[in-house]
Amino acid sequence: MLKGKSLLLGAGIAVAIVILIIGTMNAFNGQALSKTPDQNKAFVYRADIITFDNMEAFGKLKKTKAIFLHDQHTDALEKKNKDCLTCHMSENGRMSPKFMHLKDIGKEELTKIYCDNCTKCHAEIIAAGEKAGPVKCDDCHRERPLIKSSRVEMGFDKSLHYRHSKAQQDHCDRCHHEYDVKTQKLFYAKGKEGTCRYCHKKTTQVKETEKVISMRLASHFACIDCHQKTEAKHIDAGPVRCAGCHDATEQSKIEKIANVPRMKRGQPDNVLIKTGDEKGLIPRMMRVPFDHKAHEKYNDTCRVCHLASLESCAKCHPLTGSTDKKEITLETIFHKSGHQSSCMGCHELKQKDKSCAGCHAVMIRDRQKDSAACLRCHMVPLPERTGVLSTSKAAKMARLMPELWKETFGPIYHVKVPKTVVIKDLMDRYGPVEYPHEKVYNAMVKKIQDSKLAQYFHYSETTLCVGCHHHAPADGNPPKCSNCHGAPFDENHLNRPGIKASYHQQCMGCHQRMGVTKYLTCTSCHKERKKEAKASS
Amino acid sequence: MAQVTTGERKSIFSLFNFIALIVLGMGIYLTYLRFTGGLAAVTHLSDYNPWGLWISFDLLCGVALAAGGYVTSSAVYLFGMKKYHSAVRPAILTGFLGYALVFLAINYDVGRPWRLPYPLVVQQGTTSVLFEVGLCVATYLTVLFIEFSPAALEWLGLKKARNLVVKLTILLTIFGVVLSTMHQSSLGSLFLIAPSKLHPLWYSPYIPIYFFVTSIIAGLSMVIFESTLSHRFFGYKMDETHRKEANDITLGFGKAAAYVLAGYFAIKVMGISSSNHWHYLKTGYGAWYLVELLGFVALPSILYAIGVRVKSTGLIKWTSVLAVLGVILNRFNVCLVAFNWQLPPNERYFPSWMEIGISVFIVMIGLLLYRFIVTRMPILYEHPEYKGAH
Amino acid sequence: MSISRRKFLGWVGAAGLSTAFGKSAAAATHKHFTGYPNSFAILHDITLCVGCRTCEDACNRVNDLPPPDKPFTDLSVLDSRRRTTTKAFTVVNKYENKEQPKAPVFYKKQCNHCLEPACASACFVRAFTKTSTGAVIYDSSVCVGCRYCMIACPFEIPTYEYDQALTPRIRKCTMCYPRVTKGQLPGCVEACPMEALSFGKREDMIKLARERFRRYPDRYVDHIYGEHEMGGTSWLYVSGTPFKELGMREDLGVIPAPQLTAGALSSVPVIAGLWPALLAGIYAVSKRKEKIAQKEQEQAVASALDKQGDAKTQSKEES
Repeated sequence: MLKGKSLLLGAGIAVAIVILIIGTMNAFNGQALSKTPDQNKAFVYRADIITFDNMEAFGKLKKTKAIFLHDQHTDALEKKNKDCLTCHMSENGRMSPKFMHLKDIGKEELTKIYCDNCTKCHAEIIAAGEKAGPVKCDDCHRERPLIKSSRVEMGFDKSLHYRHSKAQQDHCDRCHHEYDVKTQKLFYAKGKEGTCRYCHKKTTQVKETEKVISMRLASHFACIDCHQKTEAKHIDAGPVRCAGCHDATEQSKIEKIANVPRMKRGQPDNVLIKTGDEKGLIPRMMRVPFDHKAHEKYNDTCRVCHLASLESCAKCHPLTGSTDKKEITLETIFHKSGHQSSCMGCHELKQKDKSCAGCHAVMIRDRQKDSAACLRCHMVPLPERTGVLSTSKAAKMARLMPELWKETFGPIYHVKVPKTVVIKDLMDRYGPVEYPHEKVYNAMVKKIQDSKLAQYFHYSETTLCVGCHHHAPADGNPPKCSNCHGAPFDENHLNRPGIKASYHQQCMGCHQRMGVTKYLTCTSCHKERKKEAKASS
Repeated sequence: MAQVTTGERKSIFSLFNFIALIVLGMGIYLTYLRFTGGLAAVTHLSDYNPWGLWISFDLLCGVALAAGGYVTSSAVYLFGMKKYHSAVRPAILTGFLGYALVFLAINYDVGRPWRLPYPLVVQQGTTSVLFEVGLCVATYLTVLFIEFSPAALEWLGLKKARNLVVKLTILLTIFGVVLSTMHQSSLGSLFLIAPSKLHPLWYSPYIPIYFFVTSIIAGLSMVIFESTLSHRFFGYKMDETHRKEANDITLGFGKAAAYVLAGYFAIKVMGISSSNHWHYLKTGYGAWYLVELLGFVALPSILYAIGVRVKSTGLIKWTSVLAVLGVILNRFNVCLVAFNWQLPPNERYFPSWMEIGISVFIVMIGLLLYRFIVTRMPILYEHPEYKGAH
Repeated sequence: MSISRRKFLGWVGAAGLSTAFGKSAAAATHKHFTGYPNSFAILHDITLCVGCRTCEDACNRVNDLPPPDKPFTDLSVLDSRRRTTTKAFTVVNKYENKEQPKAPVFYKKQCNHCLEPACASACFVRAFTKTSTGAVIYDSSVCVGCRYCMIACPFEIPTYEYDQALTPRIRKCTMCYPRVTKGQLPGCVEACPMEALSFGKREDMIKLARERFRRYPDRYVDHIYGEHEMGGTSWLYVSGTPFKELGMREDLGVIPAPQLTAGALSSVPVIAGLWPALLAGIYAVSKRKEKIAQKEQEQAVASALDKQGDAKTQSKEES
């Protein structure tokens, strides 16, 4: 009895101590007191991870997706002198990116294709006494895989397009195609080329009318097949491994051409923006001449502006909106704020540049009501009544456009700027500020001259001076700041800073936004008045 | 038997006296430092950590461990468990001493101790949980003093006064339970105001109930633990009844503690599930929480149950130590470990040796007072003149 | 054979009852106080702050605080993270700007002057007062120095003079209550060169903040910190960086601090009223049981005596 008791006692204390030790060690394991265990594991990042997403089309998955490392398999096969056809089948002389099948038939079939073939191969290699991948279900279908994807999207930019078209000697038909629904065949249509994504969407479309494979499938079909065939001919070819395109460092190694010549797609140099007047509607605004050629330079692909096709904007966007709101009006697409595809959206993004942000960041983001600003784009008068320009007339106009713009680039400002301005509105702890007005003015003019966009919109003195002298009249004689800005926190003008803050916000805010680090401390502009400071406080 | 104990007693206490002397000397020196140099001179308290060891141990643990008084007296007088009668006086005494020491410790901790009556006399901050705590503790200290006074009066031979006080027993007991319920739980409520600082596993709207229930656990376990110590050191003072009842008390209180611990375990689990904090259990703090909950709640509950089942007083006595440590751990966790858990490690608090020194000093005063009273007054035995006069 | 199971369950049940009462009582006190009418607030526009520490300087002068270790013109102190101390009621901290690494963000920290202050609700001598100007002020003449206000403050603002042996005080920003009542601006607000601090009626400051959101939507996170946090504060913040990245807690919730303990406090009268009755009842029951048991015992003894009256030897042994 006594033994039993002491045994129990010992056991109890032992359990307590063990719990205590384990718990304490867990609790104070390094500094990871409040971290979950998962956070402590190191993940491996790879660009070549493939998950077999095509299974999902047939309903919910029973297991977590298996992670397949493609480049690892390519390397392993290469060592055994086996080629891609060990796993991939060919169709019409092209290798299919799918694994040992051509069409996704059904769930059971796919499961069989993947599981049986993978494990069969692995088992064979293991039987031969070598290392191979998993043969058990859960080794592929891991709940918490320790490998994570570092895959980056691959894009076909202007430089890459140029390199390809040059290598193919301008045989556009080798890549570009259209689809004939009737004959269910691809054909080439000259002058109708567009970017791949116009047709090949993110997922494969299976509807009878628009049977289109996904962008992913299409690009892997076309690119890899061609690269392989080219490589076979011992000509310098593009990547065939996953990492070649999808690894960040590998991607950055792809050669970039600096000054890419214009694409040859019959696009205009200058164009009068069409306003879509199929229903006979006449736009109220004057028409906008557009320098297509200049804007091509600023973008990497056509898709930046031409979201869905290379047609003119008015083809898809009507002049007037409809009640079901499915269509986005022309007015919106040109003026929408914050969208890179809209004229104003893109120009606003440019204003965030350091050289512009100094003035523009404080300007209120409301639609500009100044009609003079509208006229900078809406400058070609509408023809009377019909609103239609005949084609020849439009072409004539387009030819005249460079003339219209001529004087707007490289504006000359006729303004007399004082060399220095002494600001002594406030003198308490610090002395007056000698503000080098002319120096600042010259620096701003210089910045404008560096940018075509800035030149175009800063066409007059007012557009320049308004950065600081808001509400300044056009005659160039701005009012004193203290006319409006007085004591701070005026209940009737909550948004109007007091005189001290308006100076500091104006100067320091601008310096900050423009990345000027020199004038951000008190004494870099003021001299301290030591005696007075004491007397005043 | 008694002869042997007496013999041992002397040698032990001479060593004890020596240690006590050192501790008292150090305590007086540290007291001098505290009241000349401020808290900064003796503590590691900071603006981030305004409450340290003196609140977590001296106040929170002190009050919890002194709960034996109301637990025992209510069991005997209100619930009619007369057979535990001999446990009442020691329990009341430790309760009284415990609260008196809590009060003493508070004098060290607060900035201007002479203003401690202010909340009662000058300005009442009735919206404060601390006001309720202060009010209850002050009143309960008085109640405990009166409850304890018969022993002193018997010793002093003041029969009339003693009989008068004894008549108040039931009233005082009820009063004591009410006050204890309020301030034991309110000590937990103190932390209700800081949900952003206390770790979610410990912060709970039920924290007042947790504190109250743990005070019962602490009370029951302390009675067992103390009776063990008294037997060891003051056994020679005990009369027959005390010795006979001691085993019953250990078994009975052990059984009660097993039940209360099991109930406490259940409401703790319910608390986590009602606020759905399971995911925190995976973290380091979760592991620490499980140590508290499994090692110091579930385990003592089971050990108590086993001890009662196999009638092993030894196991129950050891378990009482574990349970008491569990309550102390809980108070430390709420007040120190899980409090300010989001602060960077270099801003966290750890007591200085001087804070620990003051705490040891205060505990030592308690031990000395206990010895003084137990060796003189009828605590562990019934005064021959008043035998059976309850 | 200690506490019977029934008794134990009854006990637990009673405890449960008191909590149930406590909860319902708490629910009844849910009223939202939105501040004194026309009380003042300060709006801190974090996007405008340049980290010049002029506000710290002004605060120091206005409150007659001891001179700092490094002069206020020394901006190197911004490199380390600071908190309010007994010598500095306000501090400016520098934070990394993830969007523009070259333009760090500065955030000024001081007492937020809650509409329903945690410190005031926690103080057991009512040393804190929420005034009609919006300021939460402290009266050291009654303070005991328990530091519960510091535990309660969700913003970790109040500081304590640990180095004072006998006269330690809580120190914190007063929102310049003495100056504001004289019609002056708070020291920091007056000194700020950028008007990163705006002073006015709380409603106006909220309007101002919203107007800034409207004018510069991409400059701000669309949230006024302090409008609802902890039931609302008299300091309001707008920022371009998520508040979390500036060390400002976003998980504080909108429940004012007093309500967090109101439930527990309101259960006090319930315990005080219910407990004695309950305990007296239990006492009466146990007393009655005892009496019955005693009677039964007496009867049993009597009957036993009757029965065994003849067998004297046996009865002698029994006694």
